[in-house]
Amino acid sequence: MVEKRKLASGLTTIQKTFVRSRNGGCMKIVREHYLRSDIPCYSQACNHCITNLKPDAQGNLPLLVLLDLPLKLKNGGQHYVVVDTNVVLQAIDLLENTECFYDVVVPQIVLEEVKNRSFPIYQRLRALVKAADKRFVVFHNEFHEETYITREKDESINDRNDRAVNRCAQWYNEHLAKYSSTKNPIKVILVCNDRNNRKRAIAEGIDARSLEDYIESLPNGDMLRDLIPTENESFEKNAAEIAYPEYYSTSRTMAGIKNGTLYQGVFNTSTYNILEGSVLTPAFKKPLLIVGTKNLNRAFNGDLVIVELLPKDKWREPSTTILEESSIGANDNADDNSQEDLVSDKERRMLALEAVKATIHQGEKKLQPTARVVSITRRSWRFYVGQIASSSVDNETSNASQTCFVILMDKVLPKIRIKTRKAKELLGQRIVVSVDAWPSNSKYPQGHFVRSLGAIETEGAEREALLIEHDVEYRPFSKAVLDCLPKEGENWKVPENLDNGDEQLKKRVDLRDKLVCSIDPPNCQDIDDALHAKPLPNGHYEVGVHIADVTHFVKPNTALDSEGASRGTSVYLVDKRIDMLPMLLGTNLCSLNPYVERFAFSVIWELDENAEIVDVKFMKSIIKSREAFSYEQAQLRIEDGSQNDELTQSIRILLKLSKKLKQKRMDAGALNLSSPEVKVHMDSETSDPGEVEVKKLLETNSLVEEFMLLANISVARKIYDAYPQTAMLRRHAAPPSTNFEALNEILRVRKPGMSISIESSKALADSLDRCVDPNDEYFNTLIRIMSTRCMMAAEYFSSSSYGYPDFRHYGLAVDIYTHFTSPIRRYCDVVAHRQLAGAIGYEMLDSQHRDKHKMELIVRNINKRHRNAQFAGRASIEYYVGQVMKNNESTQEGYVMKSFNNGIVVLVPKFGVEGMIKLEMLGDANSAAYDEEKYELSFTDFKGVSRTVGIFDKVQVAVKSVQDEVSGKRKVQLVLV
Amino acid sequence: MLLSPAERSYIYDSLCQKDPIRPDGRTPLQFRPLEATTDFLPGSNGSARIRIADGSECIVSVKSKVVLSEKEANLIEWDVDVSGYRDDSNFVSNLKFSLTDLYMKNFPCEKLKLTAKYSYKLFLDCIIVSHSSYPLTLATMASYLALKSTRLPLLVSEVDDSQVEEQPTFSDDWEKAQYLAEFFKTESFSPPLYITVGIVGENVFVDPSETEEQVLENGLLIGYSEKKCIAPITNLNLATNSNNSNFKGFTPALLISTVDLLKGHLSSIVDALDTLDKQDKEDRTQSIF
Repeated sequence: MVEKRKLASGLTTIQKTFVRSRNGGCMKIVREHYLRSDIPCYSQACNHCITNLKPDAQGNLPLLVLLDLPLKLKNGGQHYVVVDTNVVLQAIDLLENTECFYDVVVPQIVLEEVKNRSFPIYQRLRALVKAADKRFVVFHNEFHEETYITREKDESINDRNDRAVNRCAQWYNEHLAKYSSTKNPIKVILVCNDRNNRKRAIAEGIDARSLEDYIESLPNGDMLRDLIPTENESFEKNAAEIAYPEYYSTSRTMAGIKNGTLYQGVFNTSTYNILEGSVLTPAFKKPLLIVGTKNLNRAFNGDLVIVELLPKDKWREPSTTILEESSIGANDNADDNSQEDLVSDKERRMLALEAVKATIHQGEKKLQPTARVVSITRRSWRFYVGQIASSSVDNETSNASQTCFVILMDKVLPKIRIKTRKAKELLGQRIVVSVDAWPSNSKYPQGHFVRSLGAIETEGAEREALLIEHDVEYRPFSKAVLDCLPKEGENWKVPENLDNGDEQLKKRVDLRDKLVCSIDPPNCQDIDDALHAKPLPNGHYEVGVHIADVTHFVKPNTALDSEGASRGTSVYLVDKRIDMLPMLLGTNLCSLNPYVERFAFSVIWELDENAEIVDVKFMKSIIKSREAFSYEQAQLRIEDGSQNDELTQSIRILLKLSKKLKQKRMDAGALNLSSPEVKVHMDSETSDPGEVEVKKLLETNSLVEEFMLLANISVARKIYDAYPQTAMLRRHAAPPSTNFEALNEILRVRKPGMSISIESSKALADSLDRCVDPNDEYFNTLIRIMSTRCMMAAEYFSSSSYGYPDFRHYGLAVDIYTHFTSPIRRYCDVVAHRQLAGAIGYEMLDSQHRDKHKMELIVRNINKRHRNAQFAGRASIEYYVGQVMKNNESTQEGYVMKSFNNGIVVLVPKFGVEGMIKLEMLGDANSAAYDEEKYELSFTDFKGVSRTVGIFDKVQVAVKSVQDEVSGKRKVQLVLV
Repeated sequence: MLLSPAERSYIYDSLCQKDPIRPDGRTPLQFRPLEATTDFLPGSNGSARIRIADGSECIVSVKSKVVLSEKEANLIEWDVDVSGYRDDSNFVSNLKFSLTDLYMKNFPCEKLKLTAKYSYKLFLDCIIVSHSSYPLTLATMASYLALKSTRLPLLVSEVDDSQVEEQPTFSDDWEKAQYLAEFFKTESFSPPLYITVGIVGENVFVDPSETEEQVLENGLLIGYSEKKCIAPITNLNLATNSNNSNFKGFTPALLISTVDLLKGHLSSIVDALDTLDKQDKEDRTQSIF
């Protein structure tokens, strides 16, 4: 019943009928689809559409984007390009390239398909269309009377969409031939990487080319050729090297999840063993173990997978063996040859009960249920950085395309098979690849080359690699974002006349008379907080914390705001800072620089002698910082008895109060945890990393910290009071007892008499204090480091997600907390600022921060960004520590943190580095014995001396920096001496 | 339209004769002419509208739903709506009961099974837009056509889910949906019909008109399917709006002879409906091209 009905001139309607199957049901859906005849072709060369332009709902006429003088091909001929979905997905980088792809028609159906397949690429494509400088245009072929096509009988929806794209190209050809104002009508080229579709298109008389052919036919094709993602059409020769189990059908997995026999969760590869991973599902308290290639069944670290329990005789303990991708040869474990019997759901349910028991009770044997991956709901595939394995490159082959392996920087991922003609050139380079597929008969995933970042160990390449690996947006801010900044730029000043009719300015409190100063790390450029204190006549103190008023410049629903929201946080690398907000704000307008007037958001308390809050006020203000101290400078000034001016006095008051605050916090059970933080000193002229230093903490560090905590807590209470449903808060959950089980077990064996109690944060803090080894003062820190790793991560949340008791911040031992004090570098603080401004009646709170659902999205994103930023920062330090070691080999003290039956993990406190020493590096592998009960590894070293090392043992290690031959990653290598 | 005593007597006498004369000139086993269209409701799985010359009109729509077999007592559910009658009136509930009864006994419900665990359930919604004579023949003819035009989405997941549960999934292409005959894997899918029969003396008349109903001595409702008269067979007063003064009993022998008479004759009505359905389907496929 596919009939077109004419409704009015230029408007017809058609019926679309399809079946929607959802949750086991099915429904016949009928849609009226309206087709119009007034959609223009957007070409300036067309003299027909210009007569037929209709304004949109806002009354704007559509812009004719496509130039009448588009690019020419090598052999003459001007042309427009119609892109197919596969080209957009595979080569979005090339589309963004400024050397090619101008005057491009994106059919609506392509845009929709891209949106369904990959949202990030969809957004990049939308940005291209919006930016207009590359003359991309979306042609709404699905609503155009002449380009809409109906699905044919027995045609798959993909084939139908391919046909729609072809029809679109054909229509452009016909249309331009008919109405062109130029002498030679502009040609239309369909760029499509699907061979079959290309064949069909050519049969219909369309000039269809593969991406490669198209680039070759451009005048500057030679230069661009390198950037073409290799077509991944055939890897046939590798067929049938392995047979992974096929994934279950969606219908099977949906029903299985519903009746509780299959489980869904995020897959995490073990950091030490690439053939082992775990999936945490809501059904079980402990993660399910997944062991072996066949059971992992092509899952990537971070994929959302569906798993099925294995029979009980396959349950096992987590492995105590270190296994890395590089060390896996042909001997992928062959233990899974057992023929699979049909297991009924009933039996599966019985098994699940057993598994629940096993995860709750801690039996003598720590058997853990194992599972296998039966389906992958969502791939975590993104761009990966790696390098070509030299062993996989055939040097004989000249320039022909060859298949080779890319070893990824991320150790927990398998190598990726790509096809490239430039294998030889790319050797020794950091390259970006993208994964396309992992068929069940291929041992390794298949991907394609995206671009090269440069030679390994060059600073730029390594930095970019690190940013890509941690999904950090590092491209410069777009024009749309920069347009949101104040027009005055650097010359922006606080208005002199405060009564200039601006209602909001009138509400600001003038605090320029207060003796405000800031204390930050040396050379700090983005000063987002400043302080002041003064004694009050009643013996109390007035203390103020002033935070840069970022939200004055970052208004909601602007491009600047959405950019900040998506970046979520600034990222600090050793040699570079990736800003969340443009420089102008971060280091100038919003930075509370000394001697200039700035807008601020102030929290002013009245504190009594014991640092108890008597009163608190929040206000938008204007301040003028008197001085910007570094921690050391402030410390010196406090200690210098000769300095008795008012500013110094006020810092002393602050210090005194901060000590009391800290004591109170400690008494309440705040944790003093530890992580081996180091700082890399850069040579200021060559910016070569000089030396590594463990961070030192001064009293003034904690001075600032205490008042920031106090401000955060006060603000949290205020915004929760004002917006109980959507307040932006931060929580830190109590660690689950299971996390500490292993550590306590180790303590019981290795350090009798010591244990960590976890009933409350106070008990934990106290028990940590008791873990002291009189012979080894670092031992306590070591325990703290290990405890930190058992902790949950703190997270942002909106107050409707949890009940009040769960707001608790375990580490700080407070009932409610938020981030308010660094709006320049954290988006959470921006939201908190807006909510506080709303709470004090300064301005209306934007609806997105009053909407639970929208807040949920913001929170999820900033949690992810925050984590990534931390990892990126650590990775950057790790890289530079490796660089420093290159020139400074030495022997240092180290501590054993983990032991396996084929290696140990040692931490070197001096450099904050942690490294694995494998058994082959320790001594004779055959004579080694691992005592699991005692966590001890005994072996005969290369000198023939028999040795035993266990967890917590202090050892001497030689620290050197070596470059991993396989991954090209420089890392610190430890050797036991 | 109520008849006067004189009219009633005249019509009764003419129907009583050895060679009866029906007021509209039909032979005793002739149905009134009707017209029908099928599959005209886009949102339904199948539908039909049927009209006869006196203005009676009936619409039946069939919708399907996937259900867990063990949780459903009936895989066919009727809903009847008669204009001018309350939903809870005796008349409507009787019609609904008769239809449910007929289908429960004569519709191959077990074939609606989709997998070991799941079945299709059919919802038949019958709207009697207007009627003058007893509407069940009309309603079952409309549902006959509606079911003939009914299509069910094609299952693409596993059929055997007794051991390992699967959630049914279906092809998104409506063109792939199967007609019930295809789905049941039978050549001759023929939903049951009700035939109304009027008795006057020794004579029987199928499909009595409103006028005839008022003079009948008795009325019969006979199930019919695949060239056989089938249960349920009931007798009732077909004239709903008048006190039928002629109403009385009939001899059992008459019932047997009536069933015999109908058996040979009624296949023509099914053939006529099938032809109509076939033509409609052809028209539909043609309009695509």
